[in-house]
Amino acid sequence: MTVAFAFLAGMTLVSAFGVVVSRNVVHSALFMSGSFLGVSGFFVMLNAPALAAFQVLIYVGAVTVVILFGIMFTQRPQARRFRTIINHQFWAGFLVAIGVGVFLAYLLAVEDWGQTSAGNGARDVAAFGKDLLGVSPGSEIFALLFEVASVLLLVAVVAAIVVSRRKTGEGVDRGVE
Amino acid sequence: MPPIVQQIIDALTATPPLAGYLVVGAIMFAIGTWGALIRRNAVVVFMCVELMINAVNLTLVAFGDFLPGEKGLGASYAVLVIAIAAAEIAVGLAIVLAVFRSRRTVNIDEVNTMRG
Repeated sequence: MTVAFAFLAGMTLVSAFGVVVSRNVVHSALFMSGSFLGVSGFFVMLNAPALAAFQVLIYVGAVTVVILFGIMFTQRPQARRFRTIINHQFWAGFLVAIGVGVFLAYLLAVEDWGQTSAGNGARDVAAFGKDLLGVSPGSEIFALLFEVASVLLLVAVVAAIVVSRRKTGEGVDRGVE
Repeated sequence: MPPIVQQIIDALTATPPLAGYLVVGAIMFAIGTWGALIRRNAVVVFMCVELMINAVNLTLVAFGDFLPGEKGLGASYAVLVIAIAAAEIAVGLAIVLAVFRSRRTVNIDEVNTMRG
């Protein structure tokens, strides 16, 4: 387990670093999907195989493809030099990130979480589904959250169409967008 | 089998502690923060926000698995977070495309006024 943990941690963090420092935007997107794959491996280790499947389907599949579409629509000549992909806050942002990371890691590591042991998660999908629908005891709040999430998804879909729709008679019609 | 070898095998097959997952999540969150702060391309900023969301998901699931009182509900919260993140990426990329259509750039240093 420790070997798998070290491998997944290295994969996740190195890929996340690659997203930030990669000069090519497409490489950033592929690094991002590698990082998501590492996180889905963590989900398998944490007794949530159904969630790992969702992660692979939604993030590695859908979100990466949508982002690649966004990259293709907004493609520019690739940056040759590292300075051109970052703004002027390189070191300030680095300091902020180091501060956030060290603070969070320290806080989460020294906090006494009481009696912790692996394996409390609902490993079987039936119990997981009951949790999600709020019918199992202790998870009643999910009956509300499920409805709220569905309304939010509807609003988001409509908003995405409205925002990205081209108004008639505006701009150059190149017939492909 | 000598005891030192047994110790090494035990260390390699031990279950990682809760703090390990939490620290990985914190470092991933920090890397996402760094990228969202320094990158110029709006699409890459979105990717870094997704990294931060994934780090929070990892933390949620780790808590749900390790804390006995949680009964594995962290994974259910993670599903909701994934749904909301998917909605966010759809709306966000629509906004990026709209901005690109009106300004021909996605460089967020140049997109500094609300008026088109």
